[in-house]
Amino acid sequence: MTKNALIRIVDLQKSYYDGETELPVLQGVNLEVYASEVLAVVGASGVGKSTLLHIIGTLDRPTAGRVFYEEHNVFDLPDRDVARFRNERIGFVFQFHHLLPEFTALENVAMGALITSPNSGAVYEKARELLDYVQLSERLEHYPSQLSGGERQRVAIARALINQPKVVLADEPTGNLDRRSSDSVLELLWNLNVKSGQTFIIVTHNQELAQRADRVVHLVDGKVV
Amino acid sequence: MRFEWFVASRYLRSRRKQSFISIISIISIGGVALGVATVILVIAVLNGVEHGLKDRFLANEAHVVLRLFGNDFFSNYQERVAQIEGMEEVVAASPVILSQVAVFPEHSETIQDVIYIKGIEPKQEDAVTGFSQFVNGSVDFKNSPLIKEAAFLRDETITGGIILGARLATRLGIAKGDVLRFVVKLVKHPIDEARLLPDLANFVVLGLYESEMAVYDNNFGFIHIDAAQALYKKANRVNTIFVRLKEAELASQVAARIEETVQFTVLEGMPTTTTWMETHAPLFSALRLEKIATVLIEALIILVAAFNIASTLIMTVMEKTKDVGTLRTLGASRGNIMSIFMIQGGVIGMLGMTLGTTLGIVLCWLLASNTVRPSYWFAFVLVVPILLQVVIALRRTLSLRGSLKFGLGLLWLVGIAFTLYCAVRPISLVELGLSHIYQMNQLPIKVSWFFVIFINVLSFLICWLATLYPAWQAANLKPVEALQHE
Repeated sequence: MTKNALIRIVDLQKSYYDGETELPVLQGVNLEVYASEVLAVVGASGVGKSTLLHIIGTLDRPTAGRVFYEEHNVFDLPDRDVARFRNERIGFVFQFHHLLPEFTALENVAMGALITSPNSGAVYEKARELLDYVQLSERLEHYPSQLSGGERQRVAIARALINQPKVVLADEPTGNLDRRSSDSVLELLWNLNVKSGQTFIIVTHNQELAQRADRVVHLVDGKVV
Repeated sequence: MRFEWFVASRYLRSRRKQSFISIISIISIGGVALGVATVILVIAVLNGVEHGLKDRFLANEAHVVLRLFGNDFFSNYQERVAQIEGMEEVVAASPVILSQVAVFPEHSETIQDVIYIKGIEPKQEDAVTGFSQFVNGSVDFKNSPLIKEAAFLRDETITGGIILGARLATRLGIAKGDVLRFVVKLVKHPIDEARLLPDLANFVVLGLYESEMAVYDNNFGFIHIDAAQALYKKANRVNTIFVRLKEAELASQVAARIEETVQFTVLEGMPTTTTWMETHAPLFSALRLEKIATVLIEALIILVAAFNIASTLIMTVMEKTKDVGTLRTLGASRGNIMSIFMIQGGVIGMLGMTLGTTLGIVLCWLLASNTVRPSYWFAFVLVVPILLQVVIALRRTLSLRGSLKFGLGLLWLVGIAFTLYCAVRPISLVELGLSHIYQMNQLPIKVSWFFVIFINVLSFLICWLATLYPAWQAANLKPVEALQHE
């Protein structure tokens, strides 16, 4: 490989504990992710795809092993800095939209930037642009309960992009959508990748999606094959 | 902090935006408000009683009483009074003969009572205890026409005039112009020396003393100092000096200095002083104890309110677990999450405190103000918002627009405020038959600003502590588990 890895995962292990019993999920995952690629992670249910994504996204800590972002081990940082790192560098899109029900679409999109930015005016302007980009400019003041499934997922994608993260992690982004919504969401993701060169790691069961990815890794028995 | 405020303030409101603040927040705020309002009110009443009593004591009582051990008489008292009056902390001093005597009214042939007799120099006594302002009648002990009249009508020797405690006079069944007989001492029968006869002195009641201080009104009679001296054959001598000070609160220190200043010979004996605080010590310490007990009980009430806040927050944390996960995903730190819930609890606490303080002070004002209120019937203005509310409840389809809702809220507020204004009035102790016990006509109210601040600070601390655990709990939710929470 000539390209430098954006993310380098070294011998990543993760076990869950049920009382005394150890349930190993990830058993030595080694993986490199390059800038601006779309990487699809596929595998059977319960094989640890989501766990891997959570650890890459710093939402969970590994039992052993390391995750380097541009050669920095993120788990060496204190909690506060990890939160900051997650805020600035990583965007998440989940199977379920996970929008905050008390906030409007606009506020949901802006939320990630409001955490650190003192200038809320600029943030809302940015959020408006993003919602415009996902074709929801008519829906700014709607609450999540007033939006359809596909619309919610598009808001969630806009939200993931508010801080222009280098990496967008998507966990079954179309898993909960009907065919049409699913297609429009996928189209959006690809356009984004082409337009802004962000790196996408997508965990999916969707064969079509996997085929369109730049690269596909298979997770089997807690290892990448 | 703006982000935390933004999220917390939204969580304080209800999800569907039907009511401005969710019911549970209102209940928590109400709990704190009630606690704070009660404590302000109760302390104000206790404070009012204490101040009322103090004012009363200070109005007609000496601040310091100087006497000799064993109540011995001493001479040169005018010099000593002058010595005391020379001290800069002293307003005035008054020489007094204080004694007890058995009495019977002229219509009775048996002794009715043993009363305290205060032999005074009226002018000097006035300066110390404001004596004459409490007298209904003449204070001219020597030349009142009543004396000559009584002597003429009864053909008896009248020693002088007496001002009698009003309630004592009622008890003895005598009025102004009547004669009260003192049993001064016993003398041997002029013929049968084995028998003893009482030596009597007759005093005409010149007026009644009514200070509303039970001790005096029930037990005291006042005569002129010269008459007292003659009665006891103690010419130019007294047994007590009453002193009024500039600062009543400094009584103990000044009393000590008075003991040093006034010179007594060894033969005369040792001087001793009693301050007004010592005289009423049991009462004041009882009041103080009551206050401490009240503050403790009220702290418990606020603690209950704080538990309310804690449970509100714990429920919010449970309800918002998924949101916490989302916020963490978006990059909110543990500190951010903790702040969100602490702000939420803090706002509930602060709103409760503000509301409670306002309510407490307004109630105090209503209880203390003697302005004429409209009749209780006016409280029926409340019927208007109640009816409106019922109509709205019955016609569910009627959607509440913002302005209508605001108007209804305003109507409720005005209705409740007006009802309070009509219904909360000064409580009359006379009507309750308690005026003679507390020696006041209406329940006294005095807001203690120190306590208002104190109770607010205390409530804030308690509420703040109550937010710690739920906020900490929220901050330590694991993001992944929180996201998957159903």
